[in-house]
Amino acid sequence: MKNIQDIQILFIRNLKKTFKSPWWMIGLAQPILYLLLYMPLLKNIGGTAALSIAQIAQIFVPGMLVIMGISNLFAGFGFIPEIRTGYIARLLVSPVSRTAIMASLILNQLVSFGMQAIVLTFIAFILGLRVTFLGLALTFILILLIGASMSALSYVISIGTKNETGLATIVNTIYLPVMLLSGILLPISLAPDWLKKLAHINPFYYAVEATRSLFLGHYGDRVVLEGFAVMIVFIILFSWIAVRSLKNMTT
Amino acid sequence: MSKNLILQTKNLKKTFITKKQKSKIIVEAVKGVNLEVFKGEIFGFLGPNGAGKTTTLNMLTTLTQPTEGDAKVVGLDLLKDAKQIRHHIGYVSQAGGSDVSANAFENLVMQARLFGVSKVEAANRADELIERFQMKEFALRLASSYSGGQKRRLDLALGIIHNPDIVFLDEPTTGLDPQSRAYFWDEIKKINKEGMTIFLTTHYLEEADQLCDRLSIIDHGEIVATGTNDALKKEIGRESIIIGMESITDIQKAKDLLGKFAYVNDQYVDNLSLVLYLEEAEKHLFEILQILDKENFTLQTIALAKPSLDDVFLQKTGRSLREGKEK
Repeated sequence: MKNIQDIQILFIRNLKKTFKSPWWMIGLAQPILYLLLYMPLLKNIGGTAALSIAQIAQIFVPGMLVIMGISNLFAGFGFIPEIRTGYIARLLVSPVSRTAIMASLILNQLVSFGMQAIVLTFIAFILGLRVTFLGLALTFILILLIGASMSALSYVISIGTKNETGLATIVNTIYLPVMLLSGILLPISLAPDWLKKLAHINPFYYAVEATRSLFLGHYGDRVVLEGFAVMIVFIILFSWIAVRSLKNMTT
Repeated sequence: MSKNLILQTKNLKKTFITKKQKSKIIVEAVKGVNLEVFKGEIFGFLGPNGAGKTTTLNMLTTLTQPTEGDAKVVGLDLLKDAKQIRHHIGYVSQAGGSDVSANAFENLVMQARLFGVSKVEAANRADELIERFQMKEFALRLASSYSGGQKRRLDLALGIIHNPDIVFLDEPTTGLDPQSRAYFWDEIKKINKEGMTIFLTTHYLEEADQLCDRLSIIDHGEIVATGTNDALKKEIGRESIIIGMESITDIQKAKDLLGKFAYVNDQYVDNLSLVLYLEEAEKHLFEILQILDKENFTLQTIALAKPSLDDVFLQKTGRSLREGKEK
């Protein structure tokens, strides 16, 4: 009970902070740029027969949603200054549980991310994307799991490095290969064999494949199950590590 | 734990393992610290930067687990009852801890709410503290716009809004101008008078001297001395009277004359002045002046010197706290 109330108090405070600064709007602009400036490039990818924008969207939007989920790795950039001002230490010395502190941070991150994802999907709809409600709902659950586990990981790295430069270096090192090897920008089926094999060790490959299947209405595909399984393992693992690192945090 | 103790540590240790070029380096930040803090006192933890003050404080405020040793805080076991301890302690870190994205009022209300206080009561307490620490004119402005002194007032208010039994202040006046520092010393004394025990770390001798009832001196992770300010000074320091005269012959004569008195423990000549060491310099000052006057000595200067905490530190560690003078 105390935990839920604490999460609520901290969550509301985090939301206020997020929407007080104008930066969150720039976060919204990014997916729009991808849709408008990148998606048209894919038009002729299928060879002679040009794909319709609706067909492209069906392949591209799921990958885009996953990429945005992974971008939550940058969540720590808002968190490190809070360590530096002593704000986090103040919470840690109060009766608030470490779990509540971490949960309120992740939830806040999910609100910003969820809004971005909704805007992206909405614009894609206007451009001609068609997807079933169930497919979209399951996709959103999956990408929120990605967003939550990646922000948890980002907080772990932030607590470890305590400076933005260190966080940037580590996050970029993870981000680029993960993105290239997941078939987000283009389906991995276009890749040579060795690259396909390499992609299979990337956990996010399964998430991208799962969301694509969901968008096509193939709910029972094995990849859907694999995608969810990987992300459930991720969220349990990273949120556990995140709470632990708060417990052992030195200030 | 005795009834009057609010905090007691036994052999508290903290070691960090850092890796440098593949070899592990073990850093002993705190090497077995024993502390006793009594209810209602202002206890000072004096030492240079990097001596282990903050690490000790992090352990006592449940932020980090000790590597070894035991401690009791507000009667509870530090290792087993950390959660309960957090209800009864206040903490103001060196960085402060205020949320710069909110104003003072919002900061205070949230802090009170986290201690389980109702919304109405939280707002009442926030108003009280805003009044008390004269924060009214800036209480509704974002904390990011506060001056150093204003921010420090908010930090202190955040540390005590839940009426803790003991409040830990880590370097409470570092970086403040002398005026703000004096203001804080007064406020800390007032809070203490109202019944709150204060545990503060500092590397300012003046702060330890003016504010603290008792103190422990820490250096390189070890406690080198503990006691009341006066006791510490007495233990090492002898008070002295320094007399300046015009000629070296006069000084020699005065030295022979004063050497006959039992209360003069020791004396030496330094250029054109005579330094006398005695137990209670103030008490004998007038008498010494009378004696010298009777014998028609002409004094140029006269000074009375008391041992400072710096002398204590110098004696215990071989170094001075002031700008790293060597002994």
